[in-house]
Amino acid sequence: MPTFIRFADRLSAAFGHVFAWLIVLMTLGVSYEVLVRYAFNAPTPWSLDVSFIMYGTMFMMGGAYTLSRNGHVRGDFLYRMWRPRTQAAVDLVLYILFFFPGITALIFAGWKYASRSWGYAEVSVNSPAGIPIYQFKAVLVAAGVLLFIQGLAQVCRCILCLREGYWRPAEADVEETEAALVQDIRGDTP
Amino acid sequence: QSPIVMKMQTSWPASDIWMEFAKEYVTRVEEMSGGRIRVDLMPAGAVVGAFQVMDAVHDGVIDAAHSVSAYWYGKSKAASFFGTGPVFGGSATTMLGWFYQGGGAELYRELTQDILGMNIVGFYGFPMPAQPFGWFKGEVNGTADIQGFKYRTVGLAADLLQAMGMSVAQLPGGEIVPAMERGVIDAFEFNNPSSDRRFGAQDVAKNYYLSSYHQASESFEFTFNRDFYEDLAPDLQAILKYAVEAASTANTAHALRQYSADLAGLAAEDGVTVRRTPKEILQGQLAAWDALIAQLEADPFSKKVLDSQRAWVEQVSYYELMNEADLRLAYDHYFPGKLQG
Amino acid sequence: MTDPQMALMMLGIFIALVFLGFPIAFTLMALGIGFGYYAYFDPGRMWRAFNRLGEDADGWTLVTTWLEGLFNNRIFDLFVNQTYTVMANEILTAVPLFLFMGYVVERANIVNRLFTTLNIASRNIPGSMGVAALVTCALFATATGIVGAVVTLMGLLALPAMLRARYDPSFASGIICAGGTLGILIPPSIMLIVYAAASGVSIVRLYAAALLPGLTLVGLYLVYIIARAILQPSVAPRPAKGELPEVPRRQLVVMLLTSFLPLAVLILAVLGSILFGLATPTEAAAIGALGGMVLAVIYRAMSFERLRESVYLTVRTTAMVCWLFVGSYTFSAVFSYLGGEQMIADFVGGLNLTPFQFLILAQLIIFLLGWPLEWSEIIIIFVPIFLPLLAIFDIDPLFFGVLVALNLQTSFLTPPMAMSAYYLKGIAPPQVKLTQIFAGSMPYVGMVFLCMALMYVFPQIVFSLPEYFYGTR
Ligand code: NA
Ligand code: NA
Repeated sequence: MPTFIRFADRLSAAFGHVFAWLIVLMTLGVSYEVLVRYAFNAPTPWSLDVSFIMYGTMFMMGGAYTLSRNGHVRGDFLYRMWRPRTQAAVDLVLYILFFFPGITALIFAGWKYASRSWGYAEVSVNSPAGIPIYQFKAVLVAAGVLLFIQGLAQVCRCILCLREGYWRPAEADVEETEAALVQDIRGDTP
Repeated sequence: QSPIVMKMQTSWPASDIWMEFAKEYVTRVEEMSGGRIRVDLMPAGAVVGAFQVMDAVHDGVIDAAHSVSAYWYGKSKAASFFGTGPVFGGSATTMLGWFYQGGGAELYRELTQDILGMNIVGFYGFPMPAQPFGWFKGEVNGTADIQGFKYRTVGLAADLLQAMGMSVAQLPGGEIVPAMERGVIDAFEFNNPSSDRRFGAQDVAKNYYLSSYHQASESFEFTFNRDFYEDLAPDLQAILKYAVEAASTANTAHALRQYSADLAGLAAEDGVTVRRTPKEILQGQLAAWDALIAQLEADPFSKKVLDSQRAWVEQVSYYELMNEADLRLAYDHYFPGKLQG
Repeated sequence: MTDPQMALMMLGIFIALVFLGFPIAFTLMALGIGFGYYAYFDPGRMWRAFNRLGEDADGWTLVTTWLEGLFNNRIFDLFVNQTYTVMANEILTAVPLFLFMGYVVERANIVNRLFTTLNIASRNIPGSMGVAALVTCALFATATGIVGAVVTLMGLLALPAMLRARYDPSFASGIICAGGTLGILIPPSIMLIVYAAASGVSIVRLYAAALLPGLTLVGLYLVYIIARAILQPSVAPRPAKGELPEVPRRQLVVMLLTSFLPLAVLILAVLGSILFGLATPTEAAAIGALGGMVLAVIYRAMSFERLRESVYLTVRTTAMVCWLFVGSYTFSAVFSYLGGEQMIADFVGGLNLTPFQFLILAQLIIFLLGWPLEWSEIIIIFVPIFLPLLAIFDIDPLFFGVLVALNLQTSFLTPPMAMSAYYLKGIAPPQVKLTQIFAGSMPYVGMVFLCMALMYVFPQIVFSLPEYFYGTR
């Protein structure tokens, strides 16, 4: 089980990290649009499409990564006061009852939706540039599959926690910004 | 027996005059069916967005839609021929005639069902008055003045105006004014004086240019989920189908009254300057259509549709134009000095 | 059970589940699909293919066709469609860019300079260090919009400085908690984008409308700090001679130019280009992010490591917010399909409230929700329930949005989920007690209410800028 957790965490993180860099592309791409519009009076026809495709791909593909780092918001004012075992028991039931049916639906219904779009090589209607969006619709399925795998890992975490009484942490990753800042400042101010 | 409820969503905001037009269809269906069909009519966004109604009808998330074909031309550019195709010389009425008598309906069925595999049936109604070139912040006198403008239109008209040097965005009607405020676009057309006025075009631009070849032959598209439609008794199927024809006349009368009244109101009350689009731009549009047609004809199905439309217009509009009384002359005779351009 | 009763049950179960602490996005998704399956359950159409099978169909075909029917419910198509709508949402494209800008700017080593400079510049004002801390917070929070970062950084820099200057710990920590929270209100703020995406109100109008109320709130905070320093000098003693370095005027100007000015220019460029319609919020955010990177390079704070951190944190926070939208779009589509929205409208309509009473009730509920919940959940999930009611009482959604944005300032300060206080407690010296932090924050909750009352009495504070920039309301 720990092996699988590690595998899933790494898989989710790998996809999350790679697609995260879209933000830099997005920053540069959109800035480029503003530049050519004002400097050369030649707005690009693709800017709008490309920016929502990057945004949508990024957050969908980052969903599993966020889950692996426990980053999806919880109403946890009670939850945080429980013992880890209680937390794990509640989580386990809710993963099975709520998480998997929804994600399974995302995968299968997303497949149906995306494959139809692939069938006629759908392009965006937002502009005449004809930016393809069928591959973007396939992101629904890919994100669903990643979340499903990560969900299994979270279930493993719950089971281990029930047995051992403590939560298995995710591997070291970028720290929450506050934590990193504390280190920074405490490190270089006496 | 409880009525069959048909969930019908439009692509228009709740306040648009086209919701009233859709309502005229709904009234006819409900009255003709003696209450056996009840239509739950919803505006854009109630279930899905304005551009997603075709997918939603196919899936059966809604049973029917009131829209225009340009909104789904991302699935196939040919979709746009059933509304905003090239202007060979025919009006919207001419092209609605093509749909019902010139082979258009069969081509539409072939595109939607055979080529795209959409689980829908569709009909057309309400031949719209030609659509104005639209709204600009300043004056435009020729093609040079529109270079680099971020302009909103839909369907093949978008390709057309892009070819003329504009940067074109397709947006649903309800998003036009917010997009102007956000700087997404800086000029736009939607459709007609009433719709334009209701969403507040006059608050964000003051120059309104009438007459254009970019969308001179559009009609409403009524689509039905095919399973939903075919499960109905034959008389109810007939009612859904022929109510489109009935609403077409009702919509036309309604449009003539309201569109003209709003055009007058825009000029008199809202301080809008109304002009006809300069000839140079119209000529530029025809030249752009030429190039676009050549490009579109690379696709065999598009070629088939365009051939069919051209043949129809060549025959029919010859008759229409040769036969047409010179209405301008008569209007000028009785209301001298009012027409410009 | 009638459909509206089902809708009510759906909402009830959701609220109960929120208390169990499961990730809210997935709870919403599952409830939307579950209740949607019921709402769209239609045996005739789901098993149409099965019912049409001939007598000669074999057992295997019968079973598989029947099973296909089981999953042939329209809710699945609706769910995918709604998810795609979030993915293709043009307003939300600004969210990751503003987050990225925030993460880059917060790593640009700018706060230290800014606070030191302002501290020296304001030394002759009563409560000078508190004033400097608040202005630093407001400016930095506006540029980054990330509450946790602002409170943490200021808690590390300004709080120890204030404590050394013998400030009352409670007074000092209140300034940082309240000041750090301002970033979600003062445009360009992500909260307003999220409100725009949830309500359909124009984002640029919201920005224009929230600007003066945000500045009013900063003004109230400043008045409070100075007034307390005057009336009760023991909470904020004047700096003794020699405590602050003597800086010649010319050098002070240079310090201001290098710390205050770049950040102010960045904010004004981003906000100005949005308000004047020169760029969409998405474009302005991209330019802001680029500007933030340039700033970081100039301040020698840019390294690949830091960029990487900002990039990864951006994707995590974006995913958190946007998956919440994915869940809530499906949830609320089904909720309104079942007639839940209508039922709430009928119920509230039947209470015969005046618009003023309704406004008070709505804001009170949002305030109370702000105790246990965070702003993102409240705006994405609960605010849409109020929105259809606004028309009944003839309340402008723009005005309502600004009131909500103000109100949610309190959600960071009220226990049990007082995130600002927790961030501060996490890094404050141990002698600062959580109760002291809470106590120090409470006056600011009062000032938020005061500010809301001012908005109500003088709606021009909200409307004058949108009217100036966009003619009509
Ligand atoms: Na149009
Ligand atoms: Na709270």
